[in-house]
Amino acid sequence: MPSTLPPIPWTMKYKPKFLSEVIGNEESKKKIVEWLRSWEKGVPGKKALFIYGPPGVGKTATVEALANDFNMEVIITDASTYRTEETVKRLAGRASQLGSLFGKRKVIVFDELDGITGTSDTGGLSEIIRVIENTRVPVILIANDAWDPRFAPLRNISLLVEFKRLSTTEVMKHLARICAKEGIVAEEKALKFIAERSSGDVRSAVLDLQALAQGKDKLTYEDVSWLAMRDRKEEIFNVLRTILYAKSVNSAKMAVNMSDVDLDMLFEWIYENIPYHIKNPSELAAAMDAISRADLYRGMLKETGDYSFLRYMIDWMTAGVAFSWSKKATGWVPFRFPERIKTASVTKEEREILEEIGKRIGKRCHLSSSRAIVEVLPYLAIILQNNPKIGKRIARWLNLTDDMISFIMKRSG
Amino acid sequence: MGYELWTEKYRPRTLDEIIDQDEIVARLKSFVKAKNVPHCIFAGPPGTGKTTAALCLAHDLYGENYREYIMELNASDERGINVIRETVKTFARTKPIGEVTFKLLILDEADNMTDDAQQALRRTMERYSETARFILIANYSGKIIEPIQSRCAPFRFTYLPADAVAKRIRHICDKEDVEITDDGVEAILELSGGDLRKTLNILQTAASIGKPVTADLVYAVVGKANPADIRDMMLTALNGDFIAARNKLRELTRRYGLAGTDIIRQIHGEVFRLNIPDSWKVKLTDIIGEVDYRLVRGATEEIQLSALLARLVEAGYEMKKSLK
Repeated sequence: MPSTLPPIPWTMKYKPKFLSEVIGNEESKKKIVEWLRSWEKGVPGKKALFIYGPPGVGKTATVEALANDFNMEVIITDASTYRTEETVKRLAGRASQLGSLFGKRKVIVFDELDGITGTSDTGGLSEIIRVIENTRVPVILIANDAWDPRFAPLRNISLLVEFKRLSTTEVMKHLARICAKEGIVAEEKALKFIAERSSGDVRSAVLDLQALAQGKDKLTYEDVSWLAMRDRKEEIFNVLRTILYAKSVNSAKMAVNMSDVDLDMLFEWIYENIPYHIKNPSELAAAMDAISRADLYRGMLKETGDYSFLRYMIDWMTAGVAFSWSKKATGWVPFRFPERIKTASVTKEEREILEEIGKRIGKRCHLSSSRAIVEVLPYLAIILQNNPKIGKRIARWLNLTDDMISFIMKRSG
Repeated sequence: MGYELWTEKYRPRTLDEIIDQDEIVARLKSFVKAKNVPHCIFAGPPGTGKTTAALCLAHDLYGENYREYIMELNASDERGINVIRETVKTFARTKPIGEVTFKLLILDEADNMTDDAQQALRRTMERYSETARFILIANYSGKIIEPIQSRCAPFRFTYLPADAVAKRIRHICDKEDVEITDDGVEAILELSGGDLRKTLNILQTAASIGKPVTADLVYAVVGKANPADIRDMMLTALNGDFIAARNKLRELTRRYGLAGTDIIRQIHGEVFRLNIPDSWKVKLTDIIGEVDYRLVRGATEEIQLSALLARLVEAGYEMKKSLK
């Protein structure tokens, strides 16, 4: 059983303690290590290091892990303390003046520089420059965008180190490690999906993983695939609105190209949402007729593999639906997630058991699995419920296991 | 012992035991006499004895050990034509010993095969025809490709007439010591519509609950077997609540795994019992037929059926309007 402790963010729980645990950006990490080493021989030419790169690729994690490796004390300053010149001066200035004759060596870190306000002439930035000029300990600057014009004076006096987005494989490795520690068996496909979706942002990937997998002992692709929809929600809402309320055939049809939302997915969204927007019965019937025609062409496409049916499918699901009603908006109506997609994933395991039951019944009764489920199983379920003694005997004669029998009874109960 | 499904317990073992279907039985008997069987297509609705006839033919042809000489495959279960081809290859490699020089391959639900798979099947049938004869079983012979049809002897099975089914019901009730009322028999006949499998399933289920088997009991059993009360779903739509009706449809298909074709059949039967103008009944049957046709063409059950429900909503609305 999973622990019942309040959830600690896994980004904290699995923060790398040592540099060896930080994934990716090997070259950049080497550069930082070399620079820190150079301090052991005296103050180097560049007293500040400027690490930059997209969010969640391990910039801060690298610095913190390194400090641990080097047994250094980190004096970290972040966006919240950049408000005024005074605080920067007090925190960092003091630290830089104190040497490292006694106790731990120090490293001053200015994180989240992007959050700083003003220019180098005023406020915190000018104070940071002063800190660098006067420091006797390493100073590390961290930002997403080093090329922000405001940072020009900082760039000139720092050694620039870029952190790049992590590869899918690297992110997956990290996720797999977490799953192993949490005792979660994860499908590779599921981890790949999360990793790909994070576009190299390992922090967001870990947060997604936690949201999806915490407390489970298994993570399947089906569990994660709906994530794609979450990102696309706004996008899909826009497309849906454009289609349902289109004023011309062309604008309805064009809506499909507004985004790269999967066409099958868009179809399901339209199908789900029609009755929530179109209330007049005749218009509803016409709209449902349009979407069912689109479905027919979709079916023919799938049966024949002939993609010329695609254009009719698109015509009917967009313009066909849009022009089946008078578009009198009934106030704001929220869009709803397609039930068909949700329910399909809920019953995957059930479906597998059912199929096996169907197979066994079918074997005895000369039927295919699917027909056994429809034509025999319902009756068996009733017998089991009302006359378990006989029902179980028949079920055993059908070669059903006890697990299957209780599955049937639970399902019909 | 004795606790098996009656559909199996009372499945005829020999051609002589088959009730009704006289013409078919006569032709099959002539095959047995000649000790030769051509490739065959057994086509017809469910529960009319197609698989039974094939098994009985095999029994009469090969004797008690007929199982050694036949193979049963189900096209809906076997993954792809390659599995079927490989199975046939192994199966047809050896000739049986005895007077009959070929084995019998029974391919059920053959109409569920794609055209391409059927083409491949046709070649397999030809290549091994010396050592294996095929009996293809299908609901619709129209879905079997021409080149196969032209190589097969066609057999058309039809729903059994009500009196033959009633006789069968009473015969089994005698054997099983089950008391059944006249209206109980009537109810089963009405609900099973000549489908013998369904008939026996309903009868056995009702008999396991209580005796005597009455019409009420039969309706209760069938109502529960299809708890997805289709009538209720239709009435919900007629009353104007499309979303609720669609949810009921989802309940039917998802929870109880009801097949779309089954739902359509029941909707069709139900339409004529609804309290709506006759003109709408005609209109609706047209739409139901269209849905059925579309499903054959590869459309999605839920979407087609909910479009049908939307029509019912419209029908209900029109009716209310005309009343005002």
